[in-house]
Amino acid sequence: KQWYQRRLAITAGQEVTERAAEVKKLLNLTKNKDALKLALQNPPIGHQDPSVKEQNYETVLSVLKAFRTPEIDAAVGELSDADVDVLMKYLYKGFSNSPDKAAALLLWHEKAVKKGGVGCVIRVMVDRKGI
Amino acid sequence: SSGINAEWPLRPGERVLSVDWAPKTNRIVTCAGDRNAYVWNWDAEKAEWKASLVLLRIERAATYVRWSPNEDRFAVGSGARLLSICYYDEEHDWWVSKHIKKPIRSTILCVDWHPNNYIVAIGSCDFKCRVFSSALKELDDKPEVSPWMAKLSKFSTLLAEFDTSDGWVHGVKFSPSGDKLAWVSHDSSINVVDMNTQDKVSRIVMASLPLNSVIWGSESSVICGGHDCYPVLYNLVGDNVVFGAKLDVNNKKADGGISAMARFKMMDSRGGAEKDNSTKLDTTHQNAIKELRVTKMAGAQLKQFSSVGKDGKLVIWDVDALVAAIQGLKL
Repeated sequence: KQWYQRRLAITAGQEVTERAAEVKKLLNLTKNKDALKLALQNPPIGHQDPSVKEQNYETVLSVLKAFRTPEIDAAVGELSDADVDVLMKYLYKGFSNSPDKAAALLLWHEKAVKKGGVGCVIRVMVDRKGI
Repeated sequence: SSGINAEWPLRPGERVLSVDWAPKTNRIVTCAGDRNAYVWNWDAEKAEWKASLVLLRIERAATYVRWSPNEDRFAVGSGARLLSICYYDEEHDWWVSKHIKKPIRSTILCVDWHPNNYIVAIGSCDFKCRVFSSALKELDDKPEVSPWMAKLSKFSTLLAEFDTSDGWVHGVKFSPSGDKLAWVSHDSSINVVDMNTQDKVSRIVMASLPLNSVIWGSESSVICGGHDCYPVLYNLVGDNVVFGAKLDVNNKKADGGISAMARFKMMDSRGGAEKDNSTKLDTTHQNAIKELRVTKMAGAQLKQFSSVGKDGKLVIWDVDALVAAIQGLKL
């Protein structure tokens, strides 16, 4: 069982690294909405290696930074319910880890609440595994 | 017409946490933070309810209590992380309590009985919904094999465990037939499972605040209430849980609107704001709904239910009236 878990952890780590590269490509092509959807896929929730979680967090942040304010609403509108939940988790991680970016994160937060409601925020509050 | 006249044998500072009435045998059971439960029997001669102490043998508060369908036993959930099944021992004239402990890891918040009287489900603070056998030889239980109980299982056997929730499980309820089980939890989700497909839990995560209680409107619909202060209907469509309708028909404010004179006075004193700044919600309940209870059924169809809230109100809801008032409402 331990071996299996280690294999899963390594694959998750690889996936995060590959995703970071893919997202960068999409951003360079200004395919921001696609980059957002990809960045929010399969987050390494509860992963034992904090650097894997950090890397994915940086990927998501890089996408959020790429958007101009008026584009955020439409982008969030296209996300699935599961994606909005993941986005909200990263926003709250951002509030605590990157307080200097709070202003931008709050813009995203407003749109995420518009789409996912307070239920979405509640799910961040009850999450114990940590994104 | 008679309240509980006996002096309530409760230590100061402890709250009664749950009550249940057994209509066929006319007994009431209560449980409280003082770690006790009492069974109340009606004494017709003295016109009062007499309390019998039930020794639960638990070291934490008793949080939730329910009579079984046949009313020959009741289940008490507690903060002691165990479920007490209590029944009356004729020979010794007292209530016996047997414990179901493994593998419950945290406070039990809700309990519901299956119609067969020996299967019981609980929701707890360890985010899981579990189904147990409480079959007792002492009570002549004759359990039968069923999708819930693949092989005959004795008292305290864990029959099923569901971990789809990320939050405390506030409410749990078997469908009228007992074939399905629904639970609501603090991660703002509703979860439903059919006993024939226990690996497939139908789940919806909502945009609204968490629900505290769930009951069934029929075999294919559930009614829930919680922190948004109104009862809401969800339908089971195939494998999905789909929003049905908010069941609180918007009622006009009780004061019936403001007169022109009063409006101008308000604008004058509040500097132009015409909107009434009161904190009154436009739902019937002014605070979270704590619990929903079935009060009338016609077969497997719900006809009437009640809700109690943190606003101190007890509201009776008539399903036929709601169906008439809300377009497209289907249970």
